[in-house]
Formats: sequence, C-alpha cells, structure tokens
Amino acid sequence: MRLVTLITAARGLSLGLWIMIALMIGSVAVLFGGQRSDGDAVVMWVFSPTHRDLYQPMLERAGAEVGTPLDMRLMSIQAIERRMMSGFFSGLPTADLIECERAIVGRAFTGPLEAVGFLDITDRLRDEGLLEKINAPSFGPWTSRGRIFGIPHDVHPVMLAYRADLVEAAGIDLSGVETWDDFFRAVRPLMGDPASPERFALGFWYTHLDNVEVLLLQGGDGLFDQNELPTIATERHADLLARMVSWCVGPDRVAADIEDFSGAGHQQRIDGYGIAYFAPDWMCSIWKEQIPQIGGKMKLMPLPAFEPGGRRTSVRGGTMLGIARDSDRIEEAWEYAKLLYTSPRVAREMYQLTDIITPVTSLWDDPIYDEPDPFFMGQPKGRMYIDLAPHVPARSSSPYNRQAVVLIRDAAVSLADHARRTRTYDAEGLRPEAMRLLTQAEARILRVMERNAFSGVAGGGR
Amino acid sequence: MSAGRGIGGPSHRAAWIFLAPFALVTLVFVAYPLVQSAVLAVQQTYGPGTKTFVGTKNFTDMSGDPVFWTALRNTIIYTLGSLFIQLPLALALALALNSPRLRGRGIYRLIFFSPQLMGLVFVSILAALMFEKQAGLVNQSLHAITGGLWSLDFPWLESHVMATLIIISLWMYVGFNMIYFLAALQNVDQTLIEASEIDGAGVLARFRHVVIPAIRPVGSFVIMLSMIGSLQLFELPFVLLEGTGGPRNQGLTVVMYLYQSGFEVGDLGYASAIGWVLAVLLIGLAIVQLWIIRREER
Repeated sequence: MRLVTLITAARGLSLGLWIMIALMIGSVAVLFGGQRSDGDAVVMWVFSPTHRDLYQPMLERAGAEVGTPLDMRLMSIQAIERRMMSGFFSGLPTADLIECERAIVGRAFTGPLEAVGFLDITDRLRDEGLLEKINAPSFGPWTSRGRIFGIPHDVHPVMLAYRADLVEAAGIDLSGVETWDDFFRAVRPLMGDPASPERFALGFWYTHLDNVEVLLLQGGDGLFDQNELPTIATERHADLLARMVSWCVGPDRVAADIEDFSGAGHQQRIDGYGIAYFAPDWMCSIWKEQIPQIGGKMKLMPLPAFEPGGRRTSVRGGTMLGIARDSDRIEEAWEYAKLLYTSPRVAREMYQLTDIITPVTSLWDDPIYDEPDPFFMGQPKGRMYIDLAPHVPARSSSPYNRQAVVLIRDAAVSLADHARRTRTYDAEGLRPEAMRLLTQAEARILRVMERNAFSGVAGGGR
Repeated sequence: MSAGRGIGGPSHRAAWIFLAPFALVTLVFVAYPLVQSAVLAVQQTYGPGTKTFVGTKNFTDMSGDPVFWTALRNTIIYTLGSLFIQLPLALALALALNSPRLRGRGIYRLIFFSPQLMGLVFVSILAALMFEKQAGLVNQSLHAITGGLWSLDFPWLESHVMATLIIISLWMYVGFNMIYFLAALQNVDQTLIEASEIDGAGVLARFRHVVIPAIRPVGSFVIMLSMIGSLQLFELPFVLLEGTGGPRNQGLTVVMYLYQSGFEVGDLGYASAIGWVLAVLLIGLAIVQLWIIRREER
C-alpha cells in the first residue's frame, strides 16, 4: 500500500526534479566509478610529461624483466604533493613510486622519522653499490636524519650563461675571470654610462629566493648542520648577503631584477638588458624552447667564485624517485626505480631532451655529453656541467630549508632598505647589519623548529 | 499529552524525517568540524595521524609568534583600507551615478561593476603582471604620465605590498559595494528629500540628515560584509605572492598563515588555534557593530 502511495507521489514530481535526481545519481556513479587501475600493476606518479615520454618506451621490456606491469600517471606537482601528503598523513594508499620535486619533498620529513611516508632505502643503496655509483651531493635533499628516502634523478650544477655576442663584440675576454669581482670589472664597459646604464652585468635580485639560495650554497657551508640545526647567522653568510645586496643597490649597482620565467624577463634577455644569468642545466632547455632568439649568442662559464680558489658552481632544483613505505609492491617498485633512474638509455635521452645530466657517475663518459651545442656557440655543454658536478655543494633536506631561505630573503630586503637609507652601498659597510638581520632570522627559524614536538629539535638549538 | 503529539508520535516523526537531511549535514559538516577543531587547537599534529596533547601551548606560542602578529597587523591594515578607502569611494560613486543629470549611467554602472565578473585568482595573476618592475603596465603608465620621473623599477611587490593589495581590491570591490549603495540610494524616500529642500536644507545637510539615516541599514550590511571579507583575505595575496607572504611577510594575512601552518607545515593544531582566534575576533567585531547599530537606532 505504502509503495503504491510512493509511486503515485513520484509520478507527481516535476521534470526538473527528475533531471536533478538523475544528475545526482550520475555524479555519484562518476565519483565512485572513477579511474580503476590494474590491481597488479606498480603505480607511479610523475609530474613531468617529458619524464613520462622518456620512461614510456622502456616499460614493456622493463615489465617483462620485473614481472609486473607499471601504471604511470601524469599529475601536476601540486596534485602529487596534496595526494602524497594526504596519503602519508592518513595511511591512505598512494602510488608505489612517486617522482617528487625538491620544493615539495621537505614536508614529508617534518614529522618523526618513523612517520616519513617514503621507504628508507639507505641499506638497499649501500648493499647494491648504488651509493658509490651516484654523485654523492645529489643524495642531500632526499636524506633526513642520516637516512636516504629517494634515488636522485639529477645533479643540476649551476653555471653562468652570458651574452657572448655582446661580450666578444666589445673585445672582452672572460677566460681569465675567476671571481665575481673580476667578472663585474670585466663587463663593466658593456653597461654604458654609470649614471644611466643600458644593461646590467647580472640578472639577479635579492628577492629571488632560488638565486639567493644558489649564491648562499656556492659561497657558504649550508644553512643547516649535520644535526639539521640552522647555521644561518655566520660571519660567512653575513658576508655573502652583504655582497649580494651591494650588487643591487647604489649608483654603481651591477645587477638587475630580471625574472626567470616571465615574458618580460625573456624579453629583457633578448634585448640584452642583462649580460649574464644563472644557468642550472635544466634552464638550458627552457631557454631553447622559450627564447630561441638568444640561441647562438650565449656561452657558459663556471660561476665566478667569491674569492680566488673558491667554489665555481652551485645547485638549483632537483627531483627524486621514492617508494611509498606502505606499498604492497616494494620489491617490484625498487626494481623499476633502478631501471628507470640508472638506465643508460634514459640518461642519454634525458640529456638530449632536457639538457639534464644524470647523477650516475659511471654514465658520464657517454660521448653525447661532448657534443657541441649550437645554442651555446658550439660549447660541449654537457661535459662542462659534468666537470662541475662533483663540486656541487651539499644541501639539507630540512623541512625548514624553504622557510630559512625565505627569512634570509627577508633579511636581504631589510638590508637593501638599510643600504638605501644610510647610503651604505659597499659590502664591507653592510656586513654588521647583515649579521644582525641573520641573527634575527636564525632565532626565528629556531623558534619554528622548537615548536615541532616530533623532530627532536624542541629544546635544542645552538 | 497524547501519543500522537509526543516526541516519538506520528506528527513529530514526520518533522524528524524532514529535519534529518539538514541535521545530518549540520552535524557532519558544521558541528563535528567545530568540535574537532577545538580538540585540535590543544594538540600538536603532523597531519591527522600523528598528534600529541600540548594544552594551551598553541595559544601561548601564538601570542609570542611575530609572524602571527605581522599577519594580524596586515589583515587589520587591509580591513581598515577596505572600510575607510573602499567604502567611501563606493558611496561617492553611487551618489554620482544616482544623479539624474548624469548621462549614460547604465554604462558607468557596468564599467564599475565589471571587475566583479572576473575571478579573484585571475585578477591576482593579471595584477602580478601589471605591478611588475620595468615591463609592468602600472610602472610603464606612471613613467609615461610623469615624463620619466616615475622609476620603472618602483618595487610595488617588494616594498609596497599592502598598498598594492589595497589598490587591487579597490578596483575589484568598489563597483561591487557601489551597487549596494546605489540600490539603497534609489530607495530613499524622495518626499523626505523634497521636504528637507523646502525646509532650506543644503546638499550636505540633506545628505547627513536624510540620506545617511535612510541608507544606514544597507551601509551596516556592507560594512559587516567588507569587514568579514577583509579579515578572511586569502586568494588575492596567495596568488599574487606565489603562496608566500611576500618579502618580510608584508602580504601575509591571518588566513594565509593558518593555511601555511596547517597545510604546508602540517601542524593542524596550530592552524586550528589560529582559526579560533580569527573566529573570536570576527564574532567580537560583529557584536560591537550590532551594539553600535542598536544604540544608534534607539
């Protein structure tokens, strides 16, 4: 009887209501009937279409070797970060293999070591001899509290790329340049009238987080020590910060604020507004794709050192491949990780497509790295980066690294204000204020770290 | 009481059935999160899985956290900018567009309201380009207008972040608030205005003694809306400053700091504590405003 009443009532419903009900049922079906994966496959998340294209051709053969197929899924880096962290936090399934960029991996290391969602692969790397086969500094960003959680994808040494067409047309020889002071002195004539420069020696600004870190890593001893405590407020870092700011302020400034990835920044590169730029290996392919107009006009050289005999390179960016600790297919994932990240074919194609050199040192003798690159006036670009790779500075995986760099950037902004206010434009004069600001920055980062009840830093500090 | 009228009786059963969906949604999406956030506020977490009880530590830490105070100060400055620059401008525009002597009022209304048709994220991305050094439209225009006196390197997003945010929000919201004021102005009783004119009231006197009292309810609503919206500012600085608070946290707002603490650092406890402070602040301001309105109505 009640059913009959219900049916009669349903007949009286309007068409609009029926459509809404149908949409609701459809939405639920779509939501819960979404993408299904092959239950036996090793699932891998990648954020770069180029990486996916590199790995795809070898998957069939690799699948036969490993005995389990690989289901590769391309996602944005933000999506990987959200899903990875949600999975790690709540114990929900993630991919078995996760390709992860340095900017997002630190979050995974914030909690206690036993809560890190990646598999600790330190012993596997040691047992299989991979620790020796891979460029040592490349493990840094993926190492937390002495344990390694990912296989490095790259080295990313940084060189200085300069407008060789302008430099050589002016008869300037940079081959003898060893330090930043040498470099600025050498290219000074190209800047034109000091009162109204036409161009600047270096595309750098103290607000650019990544480039500030590049220089701190090049000249300093790292922002965190082996115990992952901050080492920001040192005389050395104060000196570096004072020098960076002195490049950007005052009537004799040598640097200009030229964005790395914006259209305006690219146009300034084409116009020759900046003479030189920081060039990690991955930047080369971006320039080739986005500003081909400067092709054949650029040359690379090692970064000038801060003082004679100092380090001639730095490092920027980085990617790793990690295995989810809760994966059901850890062994298969490990086999895939080794195949993809230590394969000579992938290393070679990665260089051809992206200009990125492999961290696997045994593959560095591949002649492809000696081939002349027309974009850089025929220089053997790959070999130049490889020559610098062993000297890349070590980096910390501290989850507070980004915050530390942000605080140092803020200190630089305050220092620049101080310089303009007091008309102190030389590094020597700026150093005491730089030290004071860095001491404040270090106190702040320590305060943040001490709040973390899980990291073991609470109550610590220097 | 008869059985039918009891809480479990047939007439009440129907009421419960009709109430059930709302009650369920409220319990799951309002009551539970509220209770859970209060619990989280006395814990320190690394995601929802790893937590430890810390008592009032989150709140005491917050009281000594310079970044929180910076975020709060920025949020208050932005709110004051919204209230004391944006709303008077919106009212002035509404008064101008309400004038029957103005031609093409519809076009102007559309022009002033049109920024509202754009998404905030899109506006933020555009603003980031417009306020760039050298190539940015703002510096280029000012450079051209001042005959080269304005520096192309003027650091909007480096040293004047809050001013930039307020300028962008003026562009976004003046037209939006203007519509409310315009609607209120069009409902002002014309006979009162005519009567005051006959009584010899000038423009200012009419505005003060007739127009303002007439539009006060709408004005209060707009103030409340602007205040709540400003205190919850997030998307604009988040996109404009690429997820950071900008140099020296000049653009960091309370909600951004809440987001950073909860979703970037993973400390949901501290984020919850920040959320509760913000909620208390909003409730307090709303109570003060209601008190002022009621007192004036008396």
